[in-house]
Amino acid sequence: MPRIPLLDFHVEKLGAETGFFGDWEVPMRYTSSLKEHLAVRNSVGVFDVSHMGRVILEGSDVLDLIQLLYTKNMEKVVKGWMSGPTLALNQYARVKDDEMLYKVNDEEWLLVTNALVREKMIDYINGIIASKGLKVKLDDITFKTSMIAVQGPRAVELFEEIGARWMRDLKTLEFRMNTEIAGIKVFLVSRSGWTGEDGFEVWGDHGAIEKLIEKLVEKGAIPAGIIARDTLRMEMGFVLGGHEYGEDPIRYPCALSLRYGMGAIDWKKKGYIGEEMLRSCRRNGVRWIRVGVKMSKKSARVIPRENTLIYVEDQPIGWVTSGAFSPVLKRAIAQAYIDTRYALFGEPVELEIRGKRHKGKIVDFPLIKTKSSL
Amino acid sequence: MSEELIVEVGRNKYIIKTDRKYTETDEWALKRDDGKIIVGITDYAQKKLRDIVGVELPDPGIKVKKGESLGTIESVKATSDYYAPVSGKITEVNERLLEEPELLNTDPYGDGWIVVIDPEKPEEYDELLAPGEYAEKIRREKH
Repeated sequence: MPRIPLLDFHVEKLGAETGFFGDWEVPMRYTSSLKEHLAVRNSVGVFDVSHMGRVILEGSDVLDLIQLLYTKNMEKVVKGWMSGPTLALNQYARVKDDEMLYKVNDEEWLLVTNALVREKMIDYINGIIASKGLKVKLDDITFKTSMIAVQGPRAVELFEEIGARWMRDLKTLEFRMNTEIAGIKVFLVSRSGWTGEDGFEVWGDHGAIEKLIEKLVEKGAIPAGIIARDTLRMEMGFVLGGHEYGEDPIRYPCALSLRYGMGAIDWKKKGYIGEEMLRSCRRNGVRWIRVGVKMSKKSARVIPRENTLIYVEDQPIGWVTSGAFSPVLKRAIAQAYIDTRYALFGEPVELEIRGKRHKGKIVDFPLIKTKSSL
Repeated sequence: MSEELIVEVGRNKYIIKTDRKYTETDEWALKRDDGKIIVGITDYAQKKLRDIVGVELPDPGIKVKKGESLGTIESVKATSDYYAPVSGKITEVNERLLEEPELLNTDPYGDGWIVVIDPEKPEEYDELLAPGEYAEKIRREKH
């Protein structure tokens, strides 16, 4: 069973309680996931996200490969910048994974995959490289490096305090390689965020990342686990594979229904896997749409879990894909797919939870306003 | 202050109060002077659930059977049922929990009490687990 390389450090030095995310053993929380969540919203938190797949794609045909794989036009990505999140589709226009690419130069890109599909994606990509006879070499560096994410409105200030003032000038989606943070050599520093807050990601040798985490925590960064990470993404309406998307065309609607946003789909782009079916969804119109649900005050603490049915009057109109308690709103919230004919933001709906109807409201994403804007 | 037992399992410590009885499903039951029984969840239960964000309470006045679900506890991770340790009528519920469910985490044996039951069969209380037996149950479980 894989475990993040610095797991013992997280347990022994930072007091992490571990658990499993898929088959990966990771820090679930350190003190309280609610406190960790609020620290990221109001100050700054540090997450070890080394379970995410990190892959180097290198070779003269790398652009052809990624143009085939992703919904975004990778020709437009500038050296030293990330692509922004994008989607890898299957032929049914269902989502294999949502991923981020980094352009190092014309012939070298870095790829970050979600943890639970890393091996599947690597096999898939290698299969395409082989079948198309592309000149691309794939190197999985997931276990050779550690990766942290530092997130929150105080992230810039925190790195300044440890002497990395230059990070302030890094623009959103920009990255720098083989650099130093407070005298610690690291492989990569990028600025993005998947909590809705400002922040950075740092990749490096395990020892370097351990030292960096210690420094950041000493200056007040709160170590945060994967449970807080989940509630943070829920407030923003960010998707998670296996919940909001997946490859099965019966269980999951077309990728368009996901309303992934962030410019992930480029309609001008042609020739990627899944394009035909995605355009067909667009022409025909979508049956389902991903929306947010906010529970009523009376049911503020009743969390709609996955597969909870949603009703308008006596009509079932959709189902919950993820539910959580929002520490910021102090309300239970959910993501759901509903029939597009009922997709009226602000309208009340009912959710059937343990045989009882609970009131909620259809809302758009994000469910909260964050303090630091990207 | 009532006496306590402390069960250590790995890095974790669980408190068990010696003035009350316990269930296999991690509730505690404390007999009051008037014979009614206060019910809550144990320190072990709250540590397993962690980060409790909601509690569903039964309606006062209803009759419950031993082992029946009294309601649910929402933690960040999951929704769990809690059960009646004895049969009887619900006479009080702790409405404070509706606004402050975190009391189940911070004071499970005190302010985090959940319901009071007027027992139908007082002998059911005597059949519950003694503190030492409950400590054994915790040690037996997989950690």
